[in-house]
Amino acid sequence: MSEAPKRPKAPAFTPEDLARRRRRSVALALVLAGLVVFFFVVTLVKTGPAIMNRPL
Amino acid sequence: MSAVFDRIDPRTEGSALTSTGEARDFFELLKPRVMLLVVVTALTGMATAPGSVHPVLGLAALLAIAVGAGASGCLNMWYDADIDKLMTRTAKRPIPAGRILPSEALAFGLTLSVGSVLVLGLVANLLAAGMLAFTIFFYAVVYSMWLKRWTPQNIVIGGAAGAFPPMIGEAVVTGDFGMHSLVLFAIIFLWTPPHFWALALVKSDDYARAGIPMLPNVAGAAATRRQIMAYSLVMAPVAVLPALMGFGGLIYLVVSVITGLAMIGLAVRVLRTTQGEAASKACYALFGFSILYLFLLFAVLLAENSLGLMWALPKVIG
Repeated sequence: MSEAPKRPKAPAFTPEDLARRRRRSVALALVLAGLVVFFFVVTLVKTGPAIMNRPL
Repeated sequence: MSAVFDRIDPRTEGSALTSTGEARDFFELLKPRVMLLVVVTALTGMATAPGSVHPVLGLAALLAIAVGAGASGCLNMWYDADIDKLMTRTAKRPIPAGRILPSEALAFGLTLSVGSVLVLGLVANLLAAGMLAFTIFFYAVVYSMWLKRWTPQNIVIGGAAGAFPPMIGEAVVTGDFGMHSLVLFAIIFLWTPPHFWALALVKSDDYARAGIPMLPNVAGAAATRRQIMAYSLVMAPVAVLPALMGFGGLIYLVVSVITGLAMIGLAVRVLRTTQGEAASKACYALFGFSILYLFLLFAVLLAENSLGLMWALPKVIG
């Protein structure tokens, strides 16, 4: 059985690289949170008062 | 093997699947200045449409249109990364500069494209969503992948993509298209060639290096100058139409006539000044003023139709 070809070794991230990735993750989290608020508000406006009018 | 990984990560030649690009690099992929123009023109399309929309839904629709426009810009940068790195104007963009991987840009652009169309369909209507999808397709596929590298008329036909937003704006409000947004479409469509060709005249070496058949490189500088003049002469009167059709008021009439004459004057300067530094200055002056011109036209229309600043004129057409 032949050996699987070796993948090139990934270069290590520097502390600065990691800080950049962290800032990117925080920005993505904020965008996602914003989307939650966006869909909530749009749903309220589209549905109007009828949103409360449903059987329990 | 290295070729495979070069495609994955040209920056490190390693096996990293994501770059270390920051949020602002991703934002830059959306071409923010173009997005701003799209926001202003789409909002004007909404404001001049006969009808009204709930402000929250209007804002949500505007956001979807802006993100859709940004997505098409992102897909354009993904596809054009190979030629962008050859041109001084575009070499510092996130992909050619190595801050964002091509695969990341493609995923980002596709995700935002689908998301923006779906959101517009949900908050507005299917016509507006379909129009946004067509605009993204037109810019990313018809213009970027086909016309741009094939014909010197690339930005003439491709200019339609930038002209659609007012029509999408009207579709958001009325669920239909009318003459108002068609006139706004025509203004942007006719504005695009003199705007881009003024830049192409001074950047023709860049375009030649990248092998893009812009008009100055194919038909020559003299023919391009004549075309700029011709388009400006047609565009300026068309830009006055909103005042004659009753959806632009007195302020719009004055602004569109004065700035239209200024555009024609700058086009004449480009036509007559053909040599040396003065020729470049004339082109830059037209290019710079054309941006201000379009913003002014749409900002005045927007203010007149939404802030109660309309001094109505008698309707001459329509």
